[in-house]
Amino acid sequence: MDYVPHSQIPGHKIKQTGAVSLKGIKKQFNFKDRELKVLSEFSLDVQPGEFVSIVGPSGCGKSTLLRLIAGLDDTYDGTIALDGQRVAGTSLERGLVFQDHRLFPWMTLEDNIALALTNRQISKDAKAKLVADHIALVGLKGFEKAFPHQLSGGMAQRAAIARSLVNEPKVLLLDEPFGALDALTRVHLQGELQRIWLAQGSTMIMITHDVEEALYLGDRVVVMQANPGRITHTVDVNLPHPRDRASPVLHKLKDEILAELTNVPEPSNPIVRLIKGDDQ
Amino acid sequence: MTLKTLNLNAFKPVWLMGLIPPVLFLLWWDHEAVKGGANALAFVSLAQVGQALIDMFATGELGLSYGSSLGRALSGLLIGGGIGTLVGIAMGLSKPIEWAASPIYNSFRQVPILGWLPLIGLWFGSGDLSKLIIVALSAFYPTVLYTFEGLKQVEARLLDVARVYRLSGWQTFWRIQWPAALPSIFTGLFQALAFTWISTIGVELLFSSGAGLGAMMQQAQLQARLDIVLVCILFVGLTGFAINFLIKRLSQHVLSWRSIRA
Repeated sequence: MDYVPHSQIPGHKIKQTGAVSLKGIKKQFNFKDRELKVLSEFSLDVQPGEFVSIVGPSGCGKSTLLRLIAGLDDTYDGTIALDGQRVAGTSLERGLVFQDHRLFPWMTLEDNIALALTNRQISKDAKAKLVADHIALVGLKGFEKAFPHQLSGGMAQRAAIARSLVNEPKVLLLDEPFGALDALTRVHLQGELQRIWLAQGSTMIMITHDVEEALYLGDRVVVMQANPGRITHTVDVNLPHPRDRASPVLHKLKDEILAELTNVPEPSNPIVRLIKGDDQ
Repeated sequence: MTLKTLNLNAFKPVWLMGLIPPVLFLLWWDHEAVKGGANALAFVSLAQVGQALIDMFATGELGLSYGSSLGRALSGLLIGGGIGTLVGIAMGLSKPIEWAASPIYNSFRQVPILGWLPLIGLWFGSGDLSKLIIVALSAFYPTVLYTFEGLKQVEARLLDVARVYRLSGWQTFWRIQWPAALPSIFTGLFQALAFTWISTIGVELLFSSGAGLGAMMQQAQLQARLDIVLVCILFVGLTGFAINFLIKRLSQHVLSWRSIRA
């Protein structure tokens, strides 16, 4: 199968920005008398516009990694840079989608999305247009005035994606974005995310438990192991987007990754749960 | 009408049911008062109470006392609740302020409101200022507590969102922490309202100088005017009921996002 780079995919906007570089990331949590190594020597380079999926068992530090890139936690060793600029604190250039939608229940969908633009120095009209465009992008037109309680889980997560994209971030970080959704909605939103990514073109780094999801969406799949969290290997998925879920290449790669993950000897390893398809 | 169609829900205004016990009670009361005998001293006929009500209206006595009590309760609520909310916000947002203020707040809170009366009486006399301080204090405690608790319970996951979108401290407070704490703040306001009304009447009974429903009851008691006492009780009760109703409506309106379900 020939690899088709993004630049040759029709309709995919090319961005020159959004290169994420992680070098020698070490992170540990200190409990009373002992320290827990969460990440050890984690290094990864993500190209502008690339979609990288990171899979691994619970507790391998993948969510922590995303918090570090987002700038929510600055206590680590190593360097994280976006387009050569070391990250410090949060930034509107780095969007983040959480596993739970985290919409504010007292705001309408529209207001929730507009909140992300609070500190953008653009006119009111420009803000309103950005909000409307992104509501349309995630297919929620007509629900502008709805409150989060009135939305289904899938719709709320779309709204969360719209909120994270409305600032047109260089990189979008997704922390198990579909982990809390039912299987059908999940498959549907995976397709939607692929469409949005193709239309929007920002770099995406997605954490997931779901190997199939990782392969369906990712240009590259990074496989992690726990204790301490580290990369065991990366898989290039040389298939053009949008992809066919039934592709034999995806199935072969999935089998390979699962086989590798199941080679872990201890039966108590969280990997076993991963294989069974349990989310938590 | 068949048995099937006979439905209890057909008695649409359910609140009418709530009128049955008091009406029965009043009938019994009036019966006791009118029949005479040994019990008659303890009861006074409804006609007499009605006459007292009319007289008190006519002389302006009732309006003056009622207005004075209501004004005292509302200004106490405004002052005590306002300061309490500010203190609760300060404690909820700043750890050092929480550490500094918590012990003193929690120990002073153990003193029943009316337990402050002797001290306040000595300092400020038994006039309007002392009464206002007591009433304000009764609104202060619950508003501090529930404002503080409400802000403390704002989830870190929501504050992460504020950080991701780089909201300033003020923006985070106004857009996220305050609305998230509002249900709890309203619970505090409910309590404050009940407490201010109770303590207004209580403090007027104990510092019985000046105008007020409590003072009026105190004087009526001395003159054995049971009818006046009853009119006062009626107004105290109905006012409490009305205030509760208004706040409930207000909170339903402000917190409408909570009751909206798909």
